[in-house]
Amino acid sequence: MGEVITFWVPWTLIMLALAVLFWPGRGLFWRQRRSKEERERIQVEDALKYLYFCEREQRRPTVAGIAGRMQVSENRAAHISQELQEMGFAVMQGDVIKLTGDGRAYALHIVRAHRLWERHLADETGYAEREWHARAEQAEHSLTPEEADALAARLRNPLRDPHGDPIPTATGEMVNEHGQLVTALEPGRSGRILHLEDEPEGLYAQLVAEGFYPGMIIEMVDQSSDRVRVWADGNEVVLAPLTASLISVQPMSMREELIVEGAETLADLEPPEMGRIISLSPRCRGVERRRFLDLGFVPGTEIAAEMISPGGEPTAYRVRDTLIALRKNQAGMILVERVEG
Amino acid sequence: MTTATISQGNLTPQDVLEQAASLRLRVGDFHEKLVESNYAEAADIADSVVTRPERPAHGLSLDQRIDRLVTSRLWGFPLMILLFAIVFWITISGANIPSSMLMNVLIGRIYPLLHVGADAIHLPWWLSGLLIDGMYLATAWVISVMLPPMAIFFPLFTLLEDFGYLPRVAFNLDNVFRKSGAHGKQALSMMMGFGCNAAAMVSTRVIDSPRERLIAMITNNFALCNGRWPTQILIATLFIGSLVPAYLAGIVSALAVVGIAMLGVLLTFAVSWALSRTLLQGEVSTFSLELPPYRPPRVWQTIYTSIIDRTLFVLWRAVVFALPAGAVIWLVSNIQIGGESIAAYFINWLNPLGLLIGLNGVILLAYVVAIPANEIVIPTILMLTVLTTGISGMGAGAGVMFEANSPAGAMAIFQAGGWTLLTGVNLMLFSLIHNPCSTTIYTMYTESGSRKWTAVAALLPLAMGFVVTFMVAQAWRLGAMIFG
Repeated sequence: MGEVITFWVPWTLIMLALAVLFWPGRGLFWRQRRSKEERERIQVEDALKYLYFCEREQRRPTVAGIAGRMQVSENRAAHISQELQEMGFAVMQGDVIKLTGDGRAYALHIVRAHRLWERHLADETGYAEREWHARAEQAEHSLTPEEADALAARLRNPLRDPHGDPIPTATGEMVNEHGQLVTALEPGRSGRILHLEDEPEGLYAQLVAEGFYPGMIIEMVDQSSDRVRVWADGNEVVLAPLTASLISVQPMSMREELIVEGAETLADLEPPEMGRIISLSPRCRGVERRRFLDLGFVPGTEIAAEMISPGGEPTAYRVRDTLIALRKNQAGMILVERVEG
Repeated sequence: MTTATISQGNLTPQDVLEQAASLRLRVGDFHEKLVESNYAEAADIADSVVTRPERPAHGLSLDQRIDRLVTSRLWGFPLMILLFAIVFWITISGANIPSSMLMNVLIGRIYPLLHVGADAIHLPWWLSGLLIDGMYLATAWVISVMLPPMAIFFPLFTLLEDFGYLPRVAFNLDNVFRKSGAHGKQALSMMMGFGCNAAAMVSTRVIDSPRERLIAMITNNFALCNGRWPTQILIATLFIGSLVPAYLAGIVSALAVVGIAMLGVLLTFAVSWALSRTLLQGEVSTFSLELPPYRPPRVWQTIYTSIIDRTLFVLWRAVVFALPAGAVIWLVSNIQIGGESIAAYFINWLNPLGLLIGLNGVILLAYVVAIPANEIVIPTILMLTVLTTGISGMGAGAGVMFEANSPAGAMAIFQAGGWTLLTGVNLMLFSLIHNPCSTTIYTMYTESGSRKWTAVAALLPLAMGFVVTFMVAQAWRLGAMIFG
């Protein structure tokens, strides 16, 4: 035992400490050296993004604006804007910063990389929805334009990210938005959600937690100065006006509204109730959507709830003479109308 | 939005592409709709040309009646436990006789004969030692303890599968697995793991979601396989059973073994939960579980395919790995440098680490050289202990694995090796929580096609084993200091 304490334990600890510090490429020492340059570049790119959004929304970008948006000191923001000018990405006009052509192209690449990455996370990975934005915020800084193009090609050049935001093409074009704020809907009228603004993050998380997603159909119940009431997938949801202002919708025609009337999801069917599939929710995408279609969950198909697992979940459904078990959150992505058995 | 001007004369491919791109922006994403209408069309065609038998208007079909029973709140779980208890009971009680018959023939008869033959043709001692005592003995050992239980367990399991019952087990248990981020079908690969982890790696193919399949593969090692049960039973009998009066010894040691198996199940859930939230959180995850109609099992076909596909497949891989391992076991015990065998050097070198985690150098070396099969760990430990302690009248010579004549004989050797109750307890824990055997690791690699995840599956349990045994040993010593 003496040998253990005097020889093995200290040596193991020393080797471990050395590994943590100097492991090739990953050790703390290398990280420290690399991260300073990288932080600078990331701040420059974030500032470019801010300038770009200001331009689109016709706001006046200032140094103070950069500081507020990026949560850095005014000194730091001034330093960043100085750097932007040196790199030829922006010019000062009075106290307003303006993007140059190069700067705009660079900013567009960052936006494109961000939205493509979110699309990739949504369609090709298993990350939860609340993680997409943060992960894309990191990936946008490391994706080269070539990699972004390759990613776009692999994803079949998607037009929108999973939040409904348009993805610019390599040449900077994107689909037009014709949305309106949900608060502009008349009581009793419905709209299809086009876009959920993903900032501020706290309010966005709240919307996701309530189950809102682009493509969802919501109906305005009423609104006052301190709350907005809407019907969403069969539930009544009360939102603060500020939160509701993150939702933009495409108003629906009367005919479209008739189809959606009374839509329930498969999760609402209890054995031995029957229904007919209306559509698959847009929340269900990528591999999962293909699998549903493969299994025969196709709009128009009759479906019957057959039995519930003794564990409470999943429930087995009979589709085209086959028994398929689905978990609750999956069954909740299939919109059905009831049919008398 | 750009609109290319199209005039007949100077239309270039570039113009067409630009025009298409701008039209696409106006039309929007129609890909999804296209796919959906394809499926709808296919369903329509099928409906118009396929005739299906009328379903009974009233009452339930036979399938539905069986389903109501095996998935009912009242009978679902008891029925499941009963069926699996029967399968395990048949396997364990049925495997004893053929196992000892194989032992008798391969080791009792053929092994001495081989030595007689080697002497007759004047093989040098080292060659006959390497070939017969090393390679042949290790392989014969693996075959005789591995083959019978697998040849019984796999066909039984496959019969249940063929009948259509196993998907219902996955259906019943899915909720527990869902909560730990796994797939209900992992219940099946886990059950299979109690038979053999390598075969279970293949059986994870039924899990069609990439993330959940990796989870099932990485955690399968926590299902205590057939090769480890004998170790658990022997050590529990010798060290745990001896703590209580003789009339309780049987039940207490049985409870200790079951406790270890249950700990394995708990670890399966805990590690699945942790993996799905950390290392594996970005892997694609979907769920669907088809419950096929019941059908009468095709008995002979099932027995044939399960013996060919599962039993012989696993056995062959085990043999391939056992041959070189037998050679290594013999060589390290017989090659001497400066008057000491290589094994002794390794054991001295591993001893400090072994003692730190409440085991010893012999046990660690045995786990290194006996990596092809957990079945030969105890014989190797016995041989190495006799070799290093130099007790006389025990064992069959350097590098020759053996089994003690009786549990008391094994205990005498363990005590000569300086084993305590702590060694016994930690060996039971380490036997549950260590790297899978090389057959399993290799199968995991061929099944997953990924070095990275294979490495995780091999090293994660090993690291956990060191941590767990280290903590138990420290707590034990602390307790001994305070109370002792």
